[in-house]
Amino acid sequence: MNRPVWWRAWLREWRLVYGDTSVLLVIAGGVLFYALLYPLPYHRNVPGEQAVAVIDQDRSALSRQLIRMADATPQVRIVARPWSDEQARMLLARGEAHGLLVIPEHFQRDLYLGRPTSLSYAGDASYFLIYGNVVQGLLTAGTTLGVEAQAMRALMQGESPMAIPGEVMPMRLVTKAVFNDDSGYIGYIVPAVFVLILHQTLLITAGCVTVRDRLRGGLGLTAPGLALPLRLSVFVLIYLLLAALYFGFFFHFYEVPRLAGKGALLLVTTLLFVTTGLCALFMGQLLQRPEWPTVVVLVSSLPIVFTAGFVWPEADMPGWVRGLSWLAPAKPGIMALLKLNQMGAGLDAIRPELTGLVVQALGYGGAVVLMARRQAARA
Amino acid sequence: MIAPDGVVALREERGLRLLVLWLPPLLTLLFLAIFGGGEPRRLPVGVVDLDHGAEARALVRHLAASPGLDPGHAYSSPGAAKAALQRGDILAMVVIPEAFGADLRAGLSPKVAAFHNSQFLLSGKFLSSSLTAAGQDFAVRAGVALRLGRGQPAPQVAATALPVRPHIKALYNPDMSYARFLVTAIAPAMWQILIVVATVLLLVWRLRRAPLPTAFGERCRTLWSLLWPVTALLWLQGLLMLVMFQGGLDWRPAGNVLWLVLGLGLMLLAVQAMALMILALSAEPLRALSLCAAYLAPAFAFMGVTFPRGDMVTLARVWGDLMPSTHYLQLQVAVADHGAPWSVLWPPLLILLLFLLPLPLSARALPERLEVSS
Repeated sequence: MNRPVWWRAWLREWRLVYGDTSVLLVIAGGVLFYALLYPLPYHRNVPGEQAVAVIDQDRSALSRQLIRMADATPQVRIVARPWSDEQARMLLARGEAHGLLVIPEHFQRDLYLGRPTSLSYAGDASYFLIYGNVVQGLLTAGTTLGVEAQAMRALMQGESPMAIPGEVMPMRLVTKAVFNDDSGYIGYIVPAVFVLILHQTLLITAGCVTVRDRLRGGLGLTAPGLALPLRLSVFVLIYLLLAALYFGFFFHFYEVPRLAGKGALLLVTTLLFVTTGLCALFMGQLLQRPEWPTVVVLVSSLPIVFTAGFVWPEADMPGWVRGLSWLAPAKPGIMALLKLNQMGAGLDAIRPELTGLVVQALGYGGAVVLMARRQAARA
Repeated sequence: MIAPDGVVALREERGLRLLVLWLPPLLTLLFLAIFGGGEPRRLPVGVVDLDHGAEARALVRHLAASPGLDPGHAYSSPGAAKAALQRGDILAMVVIPEAFGADLRAGLSPKVAAFHNSQFLLSGKFLSSSLTAAGQDFAVRAGVALRLGRGQPAPQVAATALPVRPHIKALYNPDMSYARFLVTAIAPAMWQILIVVATVLLLVWRLRRAPLPTAFGERCRTLWSLLWPVTALLWLQGLLMLVMFQGGLDWRPAGNVLWLVLGLGLMLLAVQAMALMILALSAEPLRALSLCAAYLAPAFAFMGVTFPRGDMVTLARVWGDLMPSTHYLQLQVAVADHGAPWSVLWPPLLILLLFLLPLPLSARALPERLEVSS
């Protein structure tokens, strides 16, 4: 049987993948393992009640009511009633409480007499999420109590009930979270990091296969002009399947929004994998040992996460950091897919990201062609 | 005098030099640069003003006075602003309703709706609290104007404008600097990754050069001569990291920094012990590095600095406990922020020591030479 050259070369490329246990381990084991591991810390999605201590210097009916109201908020749990500032400081230092509420003396009297009074809230800002919950819970309780007392006083002074809302709350600014509308960590981390996992494992596997094949002189067997495009096609196909698993099954499983149309999603993921695949081939031509693509990936993961723009606004980073971040396909890939699939934007809205990916593909592709030619000339 | 193996490896392997000498400070600098601003500044906010009155303009000016907000993006309709929000051109949108000014003057408590993009959770939370604070401040001022307009006496109005004044204090990070909060956790996580990669590559370099001795004592001496120079350098890099925190973040530990010097050393040894174990188990460089990636790449998420450990499911807490970085970070927060007593400091130090227990077994189990991969 005489199969065409390209067909035999293509089958050889598939063998390079499934014949290599360490590559197979990353594709099959790694990708599944990461899909379960990365969301693991965030299963509860939003942080719950945080431990708060109260110093009640007033010991009045109103101060007790405030403590009950604070305890009833979903953000705060009252755990201790220290007697002194020093005792409260120790509770915080030992991590037994993460917040402190101080109710001053004469709180009830001053509030009912219409004299200004104050409440002190302190939160452990070593942990911003804990701090945010503590302050939000205590502020909610304190503000509600203040407004109730104010309305009560206005009524007792004989003001018209109609005028009270405008005086107590002249205007309301109501904030609402959109896209990730429960402000949960799953909806924030999973859609971005899953794109990064696919990107990084593709760099590892395609990079490693290319280094190994080059070290064996494999490119001499098939013309590199044939082998490299075929290898790219093999990995793009494998990763499109994994993307279906990630963006289909796992997003459904983690209840992450999927707003993109199928055609647009297919287009963007294909472009992302072609560009990432070319970047992997480039690394494979450049690096001397098969373990080095993994080293590059391990070292680059945290920098990519924090420069991609979903954690920290890109506009607040210095120019050279922004420039560096556009070198890896991950950044435009993550942002394009977040906008398309989670924020419901159309293809026209992600033109800068798509352009970035195409430019990268041309850059990495051109470099791969040049390097393969030089290698062939040497051989 | 013969140079120890570790020094020879550093001389011969360019990649190892990069990992041990250059990348630790450069990556810390990178993270300092990313979050250099401390907190997000002038985040783009879209404004849909359906009222066009003086009060609406005053509200927008009030929002603009908040350093975190840039409400200079006007849209004619909610639809146009929504599209901009989806494109990521703006990160929040504020809709000022028709008759906002008239309702405000009439004391009808008009409602202004603000939508923030919480796909980008950190900036979303920041926007939400900045918008709420600016809105409340505006409301208090509007309330004063309203009461004065109704002829209430000025002293009474001043007293009742804000019956309960909140004093909010951010303990341990008074400026609420994201740079300080995030970089002091990301940099140790990064350092941990560099340690595990450098240690595996160092061992691989040695195994490729010549077989390891089989006698346990001699093998230990070989490993010692291989590891100590790199370990010493990495420990210095850990100390340099703390110095960079001090220079770049104005980080001033409340407790005695010597505990952290010790903690960094123990964490370094713990990570190296795990690297040795991983290579002993996998006996092949690529598989070893893949295992290192699975084990330590997500360490930052499990530390509990962002999402609190107290709110994680048990399995996540246990997985986090298996990483040296989790315990080091507990120590760092206790020493540097809380200025905690000894009773809080010894448990993480002891746990870091426990990571060294499998070291003799791993040293014995290390392969004599590397499997020649297919």
